[in-house]
Amino acid sequence: MRWLRHFLATPAGRFVGRYVAVLSIGFLILALRPVNNHLVDPYTTFVAQESKVTLNLFGEKAQVVGQVLTSPRFSVTIFNGCNGLEAILIFVSGVVAFPAPWLRKVFGVVLGFVAIQVFNVIRVVSLFYVGILRPQWFNVSHVFVWQSLVIIFGVVLWLVWVRRYALANTQR
Amino acid sequence: MALVGAVVVWAAVRPVYNPALCACAQLISRFGEYPAASMVVLRDGDALLGRSDMRANSDWLKIPMTQIHFNLVPFLALVLALPKPLGGGQWRRLLAALGLLALSHALGLVWEMKALEALSMGAWSRANYSAIARNVYGTLRYFFNIPVTFALPLVLWVGAYSERVFALVGLPAGESR
Repeated sequence: MRWLRHFLATPAGRFVGRYVAVLSIGFLILALRPVNNHLVDPYTTFVAQESKVTLNLFGEKAQVVGQVLTSPRFSVTIFNGCNGLEAILIFVSGVVAFPAPWLRKVFGVVLGFVAIQVFNVIRVVSLFYVGILRPQWFNVSHVFVWQSLVIIFGVVLWLVWVRRYALANTQR
Repeated sequence: MALVGAVVVWAAVRPVYNPALCACAQLISRFGEYPAASMVVLRDGDALLGRSDMRANSDWLKIPMTQIHFNLVPFLALVLALPKPLGGGQWRRLLAALGLLALSHALGLVWEMKALEALSMGAWSRANYSAIARNVYGTLRYFFNIPVTFALPLVLWVGAYSERVFALVGLPAGESR
């Protein structure tokens, strides 16, 4: 365990330790039933509504029933884990855990929230069209392609925030 | 290019990794279990979860193996995106990180198995698992389904390559406080 104590005493180790702590607390809060009922479920419906508006821009005649996004050609249910909230929490934990001034962290949280929202709507809409045009590719796109891209997008976004905003004009 | 390389490595190791992961998950699931009846069987790229003492016509839970280990791809892509990822003795750290990632995959399957037994088998579940055990296994399944799967690539990347990642963002990584 000496290597772990040594690692946690370094700036990188402190970041990883704080990141894991913030992330664990955040996910525990999200898992609570009242939070799920009053925050996560309405948020998932909001994501479905956003996707509906985007799909209708392409003339899809989509509707939302609860958390089901449906059109005459295809339907998907947006579950917890597909609503982008978890990706946002993972990014926000990285921002909160990083040693930066609080104002810049707030900016990072807002930036990340908006960027991941947009990214997730693109993901849902693209999966909807994969379901219409190539239904046999839907599972691979859903599980493999887009989930991998969500992780990479979150990390790249965090790196951009750190380089451009968190450490900008500060003495390194 | 890093992403393409990661996908190629993932596709190449999958035929060996899938059966090894299922065997490992079954071994861990049966630890301390009497009778040892938990089964994790690989079929057509899916893990089938069930028990050998269930009726022959019982349904088995099907988990796509891709769902369990897809995060190997973003992790390897992040590693390959760094300059000389294996240089300067970094391969030892990479092996350690890959070991932790593989352990998280095996445990992901184990918690799916335990949550199936504790939550989804009706009266049998209630008779064999306490309310606390049911909550614990449900929570572990949730954590390994989403937070661990999605956050571990970043944690292991920063942990294994702390100097390079922090140099990338312009901070020193190795100084003690």
